[in-house]
Amino acid sequence: MGKQYGFLIDSERCVDCRACVTACKASHNVELGVSYRRIETTWKGKFPEVTFTSLSMACNHCEEAACVKVCPAHAITKRSEDGIVVVDHAKCIGCGACGKACPYHAPQYGKDKKMQKCDLCVDRVSEGKKPVCVVTCSASALTFGTLEELPALAGKKKIARLAGATRPSVFVPVSGA
Amino acid sequence: MSNYSVAGQSRRAFMKTTGALGAALALDKEALGLAPAVGAANSSGREKLIPTFCAMCGPSSGCGILAKVVDGKFVGIESFPECPTNNGVNCAKAHGAPQWVYSKDRLHYPLKRVGAKGEGKFQRITWDEAVTIIADKLKEQKAKYGPESLGILSPAGRSYSSYMRRFMVTHGSPNYGHSGICAVQKRFAMSYTLGDEPSPDYAHADLVVIWGKQPVFSGASKHAVSSLIAAKERGCKFITIKPTLEPDGAVTKSMWVPVRPGTDAALALAMLNVTINKNLYDAAFVEQWCYGFDRLKEHVQQYPPAWAEKITGVPAAQIEQVARLYAGTPKAAIDYGNGLEHAPAANDALRAIGMLMAITGHIDKPGTNVWGSGSTMPSPRGVDLFERYTQEFVDKLVGSEFPMAFMPAMEGTSASYYRILDSVLTGKKYSIRAILAPGTQAMASTRGTKHVIEALKKVEFFAVLNTTRTPEMAYADVVVPISTMYESDHPFETSGNWIMARNKVIEPIGESKSDYEFWLALGAKMGYGDDWWNGDIGKHMDWRMEPLGMTYEELRTQYPNGRKYESKPPVYEQYAKRFAAKSPRLDKVPYLPEGKVALYNNLFEKAGLTPMPVWRELPEGPTATPELLTKYPLLLSDYHTSRSYNASWLRDVPYLREVEPYPSLHIHPDTAKQRGIANGDWIVVEGPHGSMKVKAMLYPGTRPDVVMLLHGWWQGCKELGLPDFPLADGGANTNNMYSTDPEKMFDPVITAMSSQTLVEVRKV
Repeated sequence: MGKQYGFLIDSERCVDCRACVTACKASHNVELGVSYRRIETTWKGKFPEVTFTSLSMACNHCEEAACVKVCPAHAITKRSEDGIVVVDHAKCIGCGACGKACPYHAPQYGKDKKMQKCDLCVDRVSEGKKPVCVVTCSASALTFGTLEELPALAGKKKIARLAGATRPSVFVPVSGA
Repeated sequence: MSNYSVAGQSRRAFMKTTGALGAALALDKEALGLAPAVGAANSSGREKLIPTFCAMCGPSSGCGILAKVVDGKFVGIESFPECPTNNGVNCAKAHGAPQWVYSKDRLHYPLKRVGAKGEGKFQRITWDEAVTIIADKLKEQKAKYGPESLGILSPAGRSYSSYMRRFMVTHGSPNYGHSGICAVQKRFAMSYTLGDEPSPDYAHADLVVIWGKQPVFSGASKHAVSSLIAAKERGCKFITIKPTLEPDGAVTKSMWVPVRPGTDAALALAMLNVTINKNLYDAAFVEQWCYGFDRLKEHVQQYPPAWAEKITGVPAAQIEQVARLYAGTPKAAIDYGNGLEHAPAANDALRAIGMLMAITGHIDKPGTNVWGSGSTMPSPRGVDLFERYTQEFVDKLVGSEFPMAFMPAMEGTSASYYRILDSVLTGKKYSIRAILAPGTQAMASTRGTKHVIEALKKVEFFAVLNTTRTPEMAYADVVVPISTMYESDHPFETSGNWIMARNKVIEPIGESKSDYEFWLALGAKMGYGDDWWNGDIGKHMDWRMEPLGMTYEELRTQYPNGRKYESKPPVYEQYAKRFAAKSPRLDKVPYLPEGKVALYNNLFEKAGLTPMPVWRELPEGPTATPELLTKYPLLLSDYHTSRSYNASWLRDVPYLREVEPYPSLHIHPDTAKQRGIANGDWIVVEGPHGSMKVKAMLYPGTRPDVVMLLHGWWQGCKELGLPDFPLADGGANTNNMYSTDPEKMFDPVITAMSSQTLVEVRKV
């Protein structure tokens, strides 16, 4: 097994500006109505003691990716060299099994019913560049790196792997840190 | 189930609602040349990355981008870290650029009206014909009515604003119309209080009060967000004062002060009361650098926190707490914004905030509001021609934006945008006969939409200059297509100590040209060629560059990633210098004749204005018109900025429209529940002056007695099947909702217009 790329998603920095969402759509020329990245807003408390957090979510490129396991057409693969989960559009039969299996709602379906999702900007990453969502973020709320690198890239901030049966390749801040 | 989400909605709900909205504008779209865009001139077949500037807001101080061109087509953007404006990050809007450039709403060719006003029938003409028609009409009217019969409706400050002002000087009209709701209002109030407008020092503050501002949507990528996050992670505390809790307040875990819209003056006056009565002020600074403290102390006795609580809805205890925190934190700054500029007491809200900074000594010290040290870069030549102003020219102003005694002001001579339209209808002080509307949308951008329509029907000549179609185009005699800045190689852009030439990404679409080329062409056609480089943009740009000792092409070729000059070390406590700053009035009287902060303003008093800040009620509001509360119990106001749009533009860009597809009224969940309204329901918003049909967005961070909507909604998005909304009743235009009573709608000093009214909402 080679390295595993992933994200540090810092909702303590995210300002819900949606630049990551639009950058992703524009760079992948994503069809209208489909979005690989989304912001999940969670409200807490009641007026006037109320607040919210914003979390930028896409595919977590899980180490034990549920979508890969359930795909009957073997259209979804996990790249051995970098752990990126990719879908082969030609092989996908549009059954939707991956969408049901994924706990993070990463698989998306457009007009042709076939699965499409965040590919971690695999072409850019292969050239040594960062994913567009990471590059464009004014808040530095998204950090890209291997699972080994990410704790160091977080600096002083305490972070932990996002827990989950599929072993998502995502770090998040330890709350209260 | 394929349940993907469009900004929190399921696709099924999204599609279901798109067919049933209001009527489209009466425009003959085929005649407008709104056909699919043609490809660009470049067809090298290779991918090119062109260092240049984003143009989704502005043009002015655009963020750096690398524009990606494939086979001559602009296809996307990449990060351009060398540009210090944004250091390689970009906002959501930046990524929608190619869709905007090739929008189905682009204006490709100049048009001449052939039908009745409002009918929307046009005939294609050439660029030269369009400029000639405008020039001939202006010459004719200049001879018949005098040059002052021309008014310009300007957009917010743009890098071509100076060109419009220059045109007005060369033509002889002072009637450059400014919105009365933008940055100039802040600069006026702060300059006549503090001598100059200071900026919050995020880098060193221990407390930042964000007041009537949204840094996340205003210049997000221009360090606003990175400064906010860096300050938070340094341990800086935040207080946000605004009607709703927004991302800036949430991400910084700020104390939220949920003020009712338009009541900031009452809040600031009560904070002055607390700061003075509880001895929280900086006595030494007050003694040395403030004028009129004793009179201010006596004056603010009438504004205790309990008085302000009734008006602002902020508990008295919280008002006192905020005043104590701000005064008691040595490194405290206030980041105030456009939200303060939309109320009858706007000038006094701003002045009172300036006074709070002064009496607490929070001026020009690290971590407070600071003036900065300026730049070592020589300034490129300015084009305004302010030096040609005469008293006779100034006196001709129709509907002055600021009191005549203070003219020329921050942007030279400026008329209130709204009052230019008003003069067409009332003939006061005389009738404006021709209106040029460059980069603005009169029907969506100013108050009293129905009033605006009447003025546009009546005015003798009306020309629209824009990149995409606008709602008032149907009333235009001539429409001039303006290229996007991706289609222009001028002007340069600057950022502090840095300057770079703009590079053209693609050739102009259709027969469009830049704003700068238009004003040079019109100046030359009018016979003002000596002042307009005879229409030669190249010669003009070289003239501007002369102080930097290089031509424009030398800047482009020798400094492809921009030229950087040495930065100056920070300087603080520049009181003697800043308090002596001269005003732009013809007599150059200093802003502060006493050489001190004007807590008591003798210049204002002499002009018949209130020398100290006072509270002035809203046209309609809980304490202004309690008799209306039974019928209209909720206070409506609007947001000035958003994550995906620039004022009333960019709704036609599909990737941006998906982020915020519908006009969505922020309403507290309890307020909605009482009315049987669920999230995403279509609702009717009714008030004394008009109605809207919008969607409800249940937003827990809203005051329960307030509802808020983003302004600027009318344009549809063809790719998403979203039609245009009506501009007047039944649409989603907040400007249609507000009072146009001239006694109530304006701030009496800065003509800021109220954007508050009372409404009731119900499910459709």
